[in-house]
Amino acid sequence: MTDFGNGNGLATADKYYSQYGVRAQELKGSGKKIIGYLSALGPLEILTAAGVVPFRLKGNVSEAITKGDAYMETIVCPFVRNVFDSAVKGKFSFLDGMVLPHQCDSIDRTNDVWSYNLNLPYWHFLNFPHVTDDPSIEFTKELYRVFIGTLEKLTGKKITDEAIAKAVAAHNENRRLMRELYALRKTNPPLIWGAEMMKVLVAAMSLPVEESSALIESVTKEVSKRTAKSNGKSHRIMLIGDQIDDAAIIDAIEGAGAHLVMDDLSIGAKMYWGDVDVTSDPVQGIAERYLRKLKIPTTFVGSKETYQEILDERYGHMKQFISEFNVNGVVLFIYKYCDPYGFEVPAMKSYIESTGTPVLYLEDEYSISTLARMKTRIEAFLEMIA
Amino acid sequence: MAEEKKGRAVATQTAAKIPKFVRGNLSATLKAQEEGKKVAYAFIADGQDEIMRAMDIVPAWGESFSGVCAAKRDAENYLQKAESDNFSRSLCTYATCNIGFDMIREELGGQMPEGAPWGGMARPDMILGSGQLLCDPRFKWPQATQHYLQDVPVFVGSMYYPPFDPNTDHHAQEKFYVKYAAEELRECVKFCEKVTGKKMDWDRLAATVELSDKTWDLFIDTYELRKAIPTPMDTGDAMNTMVPLTFNLGTQEAFDFYVELNAELKQKIADGVGVATHEKYRLIWAAGLPSWFALGDFQYFNAKGADFPVEVTYRGCEKIERLDLPKTNDPLEHIAWRWVRYWTHWYDKAMKRPGSIPKVERIIEYIEDYKCDGVVFHSAFSCRSWHAGIIHQAETLKRVYKDIPILIMEGDIVDISSYNEADTHNRIDAFLEALDAYKKRGN
Ligand code: SF4
Ligand code: SF4
Repeated sequence: MTDFGNGNGLATADKYYSQYGVRAQELKGSGKKIIGYLSALGPLEILTAAGVVPFRLKGNVSEAITKGDAYMETIVCPFVRNVFDSAVKGKFSFLDGMVLPHQCDSIDRTNDVWSYNLNLPYWHFLNFPHVTDDPSIEFTKELYRVFIGTLEKLTGKKITDEAIAKAVAAHNENRRLMRELYALRKTNPPLIWGAEMMKVLVAAMSLPVEESSALIESVTKEVSKRTAKSNGKSHRIMLIGDQIDDAAIIDAIEGAGAHLVMDDLSIGAKMYWGDVDVTSDPVQGIAERYLRKLKIPTTFVGSKETYQEILDERYGHMKQFISEFNVNGVVLFIYKYCDPYGFEVPAMKSYIESTGTPVLYLEDEYSISTLARMKTRIEAFLEMIA
Repeated sequence: MAEEKKGRAVATQTAAKIPKFVRGNLSATLKAQEEGKKVAYAFIADGQDEIMRAMDIVPAWGESFSGVCAAKRDAENYLQKAESDNFSRSLCTYATCNIGFDMIREELGGQMPEGAPWGGMARPDMILGSGQLLCDPRFKWPQATQHYLQDVPVFVGSMYYPPFDPNTDHHAQEKFYVKYAAEELRECVKFCEKVTGKKMDWDRLAATVELSDKTWDLFIDTYELRKAIPTPMDTGDAMNTMVPLTFNLGTQEAFDFYVELNAELKQKIADGVGVATHEKYRLIWAAGLPSWFALGDFQYFNAKGADFPVEVTYRGCEKIERLDLPKTNDPLEHIAWRWVRYWTHWYDKAMKRPGSIPKVERIIEYIEDYKCDGVVFHSAFSCRSWHAGIIHQAETLKRVYKDIPILIMEGDIVDISSYNEADTHNRIDAFLEALDAYKKRGN
């Protein structure tokens, strides 16, 4: 395991970011089983409890899709297509298997395509409800139990409640540490650049939980030593979207003189806010966290009486982020062909704007080929809010 | 589904009655208020049909209305309206067309927009969505609509079925899926009771469900008549005749419609009358919603001696006896079992053929039963639900079954900007040539 003791966290994050999967490959070499997953619905606690290494897949925004389109329709969201392309090109050949959580149509409808073309020893499509009522919690627990059964078959070991409880504690601690690091973005200017933070987030999702925690702690230690010298004029931006996992768009924001101080991304705040409650049946707490605490547009939330209350239920956390992190502009970055996020845009945009915070909505590909155009729009936005 | 401007003449007399059905459903929404009934925005294949019918709730079907707008080539205005408020053009166009229409009607203070196709669709008293495996817009569309109709209560239920996994026994999972679906249907009943202020009449619900079962059976019996050579009805008509099953399930009118269609098909078979004058090629429409603005393309096929005795699209039912449903006195549990088994009853077959998947097993079953020579898929860009995975289905079909000619057409359900008639016809011609060569090779 890499030693982070001497405060080399950022350099390590940079290495794991630019050589994505290198640590998983090493772990594979030492006999560990590596299980890939997609999306913030990846059931990390259960994977950890099974003794396998959860590894979140990402694509490569600088690489054109050259192989995947022969097997997967171009109407699938560009993120999923790009990751699939990387996978069929053999970038993740160290995987022993994958769990594909039912996040959205782009994932659900391509499960067959993934499983057939990757042909990994282990495969599990993890169904997941889109509603959050009590019957859905019970249903989710059943789904997790089926999933647990398949992992037990894979590893040949029983996954005990104790192991799950231990994994829950480790992941809660991991989330706490990441939130601690996020807090260093509250100063003006933030102690950590958005692009640096992106690298930490990406690195973290490629590591076993203890290593991820050690990395985060090390980065926090390193960054805390910095002093915030305000130039007084920089914009403080929050980025919202699903899996944005490359620093390019953040460089575009920060290169234009703004700071990315907060996010509501599926690899960022969505992952690290909302802990698993310790429950006598540990699966209960996990079900509640992923179904109710994780704020993603693939779960329908609307239990309140008035529309305003429903909006608060759906986006209240964003309002809180805006005030806590002193955000004065929001970039809403949505992938084309993404129904779950796409249908949210008018409601989310007007909700955020009602806080007095301007919003730039960008719809784009998972590719840097359009970056120049995005940059121009970001620059214009920053000028507008100046 | 409707009176499209391009004027596709239906082959059966009975199908010609469909525009009246569609119009009837739309005008029922407009008349509901004076009849003291509540209107619900509803989405097909959500399992909530019988609940609505048993409670006299008038369904306002968004997909149907958008289909009508598309068939009449009137959708663009609404699509643009939705786009003006940042709904991407890549989202489901049934939804965005409908939302655009809602936006315009709200701006007019609830008045019907001028020139709304067939008098338009009424403002709802509630929205019934479903977060299920069929598609994301089934729960995102209601939520997005609420942004414009803020006083309208929304319910989103959930109807899942076990995913296919050759290494997992789906039978062992069916029970908890059914339990969940039935509980969600119960939540739906509670919601409807609250909005309507009326209690569910459970006997009436049971009778409605029984009528639906009978309709499912009759639908399949009727459609299986299309196995005749030449086929008396093809997919072009089926895109119309699916209306009673899809939008009027649980009503006597739907059942009676298929009684009539059944009689007509039997008569055609007795008279030896087929869809294509000389039936040369029998095709299966293996997946995909059609381009409602270009249903005339079916006639293009027919004119070349090709017809479609069977399609997967909108065949949303099965003979009840083939589903082997466990007995229950609870109509909601019955709906849940019927739903789950409708999907899983192809799984065992897929398990037996290595590398196969249920969707492909279904296609193979139809190819064999209906003696098809070729396969056509339609890939509509704005709907991932039915159209992502088509390439894989086509590949799998070739790999596990045989090297049958396959055409994958591309277009959209509503958005006409994606359609080019000359290109489409050229592709059909090339496919039929390949099919001809295939048949000449003795297949
Ligand atoms: S970006 Fe949207 S469509 Fe793509 S995986 Fe995420 S939720 Fe699904
Ligand atoms: S099935 Fe497709 S066309 Fe129908 S509502 Fe869903 S996404 Fe839209």
